[in-house]
Amino acid sequence: MNSRIRAGLIGGIFGGLIALVSGGQIAYLAGIIAGAIASQLAVQEEDIPSPLAGARLGMQAGLVAGLLTAIGVLVRGFVINPLVNVSANASALLMLALGGLVMAGVASAVFGAIRGLPQPQSRYGTLLAFGLLAVAYPFIDSYLNLRFMNEVIPVMIFLLMALGLNIVVGYAGLLDLGYAAFFAIGAYTTGMLASPHFGINMPFWIVIWIAAAVAAVFGLILGAPTLPLRGDYLAIVTLGFGEIVPIAVNNLDSFSMNILGFTVINNIDLTGGSKGLNPINRPTFFGYTFEASQPIPWYFLILLIMVVSIFFILRLRNSRLGRAWNAMREDELAASAMGINLVRTKLLAFSMGATFSGFAGAFYGSYISAIFPDAFRFDVSVMLLCMVILGGMGNVTGVILGGLIIQFADRLFLPQFSNLVQQFMQNTDNEVLKEINFASDFRLLLFGLTLVIMMLVRPEGLLPNERRRRELHADDDAAARERQTLFDAETAKEV
Amino acid sequence: MTDYLLDAQGIVKQFGGLTAVNSVDFAVERRSISSLIGPNGAGKTTFFNMITGLYMPTSGKILFDGQEITGTKPHLVTALGIGRTFQNIRLFAQMTALENVMVGRHSRLKAGLFGILFRLPRVRAEEEAARKHALELLDYVGLGRRRADELSKNLPYGDQRRLEIARALATDPKLLLLDEPTAGMNPNETAELTKLIRRIRDDRGVTVLLIEHDMRVVMGISEKVTVLDHGAKIAEGLPEEVRANEEVIEAYLGRGAAAHGKGGRAAKTA
Repeated sequence: MNSRIRAGLIGGIFGGLIALVSGGQIAYLAGIIAGAIASQLAVQEEDIPSPLAGARLGMQAGLVAGLLTAIGVLVRGFVINPLVNVSANASALLMLALGGLVMAGVASAVFGAIRGLPQPQSRYGTLLAFGLLAVAYPFIDSYLNLRFMNEVIPVMIFLLMALGLNIVVGYAGLLDLGYAAFFAIGAYTTGMLASPHFGINMPFWIVIWIAAAVAAVFGLILGAPTLPLRGDYLAIVTLGFGEIVPIAVNNLDSFSMNILGFTVINNIDLTGGSKGLNPINRPTFFGYTFEASQPIPWYFLILLIMVVSIFFILRLRNSRLGRAWNAMREDELAASAMGINLVRTKLLAFSMGATFSGFAGAFYGSYISAIFPDAFRFDVSVMLLCMVILGGMGNVTGVILGGLIIQFADRLFLPQFSNLVQQFMQNTDNEVLKEINFASDFRLLLFGLTLVIMMLVRPEGLLPNERRRRELHADDDAAARERQTLFDAETAKEV
Repeated sequence: MTDYLLDAQGIVKQFGGLTAVNSVDFAVERRSISSLIGPNGAGKTTFFNMITGLYMPTSGKILFDGQEITGTKPHLVTALGIGRTFQNIRLFAQMTALENVMVGRHSRLKAGLFGILFRLPRVRAEEEAARKHALELLDYVGLGRRRADELSKNLPYGDQRRLEIARALATDPKLLLLDEPTAGMNPNETAELTKLIRRIRDDRGVTVLLIEHDMRVVMGISEKVTVLDHGAKIAEGLPEEVRANEEVIEAYLGRGAAAHGKGGRAAKTA
């Protein structure tokens, strides 16, 4: 199959499914997403000589994707909606389908053209384009009347944590199954320092740093006992830590401490137990208070935190420390023989990873304005691990992509899909079928399935890190060289 | 008094009931090329591992450059100036050739967490210098810059051996330990590598100690040869002396061969 058509089909599957399941104005956004994905995939493999060629190539893939999106819109409008008793307005639907197609074409042409620029500009251009899309999102959201903002912000919180987990798992190769614990520690630190609970009301802008620092310290505390462990054993210890923290938080509502018979601390309520800490102060910014009813400032705040985090994570990666993490992942013994202090390097991986989770926790606490021990259970850690694995371990772009797919599937796509199915099932007489709720009943099954399929089909993740891609290219080179040698041998024989 | 760079005195290593190295005294002169030979299982690699801090000797002490390093952690030994390669190549497979060498540079770089996060000018300059140094080393061992961005696992076998040497050289060693550097190479590659080892000593003043099975290499470049058998030192001296040593021939080829060798030599003198 032609690689452009294949790229278009992959992008189209995303766009078409979104349009099909969600229905309505989202078709425009689905078009943009489908076009961007298709274009990025189509131009990835080839050398693009000029922006014009890139735009043409991207658009070929983008229009295929747009077509699929349009089909999704039409199927939803003309086939599914009548079945679930929603009336269809033919002209509006056609406009919507056309809109999706046009959006896909425009987005793909833009991304293709950027790709056609010479090397440094091309990379910055792609970053800028995605950045603009991220900045423009709240306005697109309100313009199309999507009302997704309250889902998008938690998605970003999880993305931030996945990026932190990627340091531990992807860079340093330490399998951490209890990563949600640091999220809890960050959130509870915020809860204690910025709420009426203790009457301490520190400003958010200071608390977020303290929360990150406390999480980093707990990263060291978890890291210390795992130093001699590897692989499975390490995973088991981190699993234990991930279980301990929520239970401890649950029971720290009557904390007493005796040293040598003297009561140092008597019955202090540290965490509010199962009632949690509620309320937590919201950030204020030069007199402006962030409110739950106004998601846009929150969105830009978490976007800012994420951009800064990615900036620092990339710096860590391309440094002496990042190389030491990679070397340790590859071969601990050889790494130590090359002068790498394993103790220090491992502890730094744990505490740097925990830091970003601490940021996420602090933001989460202030955003939800309340925290409960239930929010940090094992499935959060597993979900984060899924995000890292799906996208591609050790690659920031891959982790973001994997995170976006899993989070949006979980928070937007599945509930809407489940609604749709339920509406269908109301027509049947079977009581069991009527009760099916995809979002809650099949959620974990679907994630498990994703993991199994990924491990079997594409263990390196959707976007393998550049090393692995280079590795594939190197194989091509080797094959080419071999052919060349054979060719030389043949010609030599003829002469 | 001779100037020894490495001086191991009465080294014993026991694994449970097995004595892998049995009270060996061993010294390496500064700026020399020495070889450690012996049949498989003689305790050569165990000896290397004790020098580099991977194993703690059961008894005895190791002096390096006049300083006791017995039981020092591997990364500190490297920082003091001992670089090594491994018998079964241990490159960082998923990292490029260049990155492998830059990892070797680790203990000579000073960037701390703060400097890395804020990329201070000092850190930036240091990274640039490390990169340049690594490229030069790749050139020096004959890998060339063209291969710098290739994953180390995709390099041909001979190049992987060379890359390991480049990585060890990046640690700025005073003493370079090579564990069977020519294993699995063809005669051509072996000859070139032998030249490289001699160049490393001559250009850079690095003392070289190698474990080697290829007798042409050992006899060709060593100034001193030490023979281990069953964990004990059975002979030491100039290559010619060791080659003629009956105990050595016996260790390698068995008792009958030694007698035969003796007979042969006797016949020649007669």
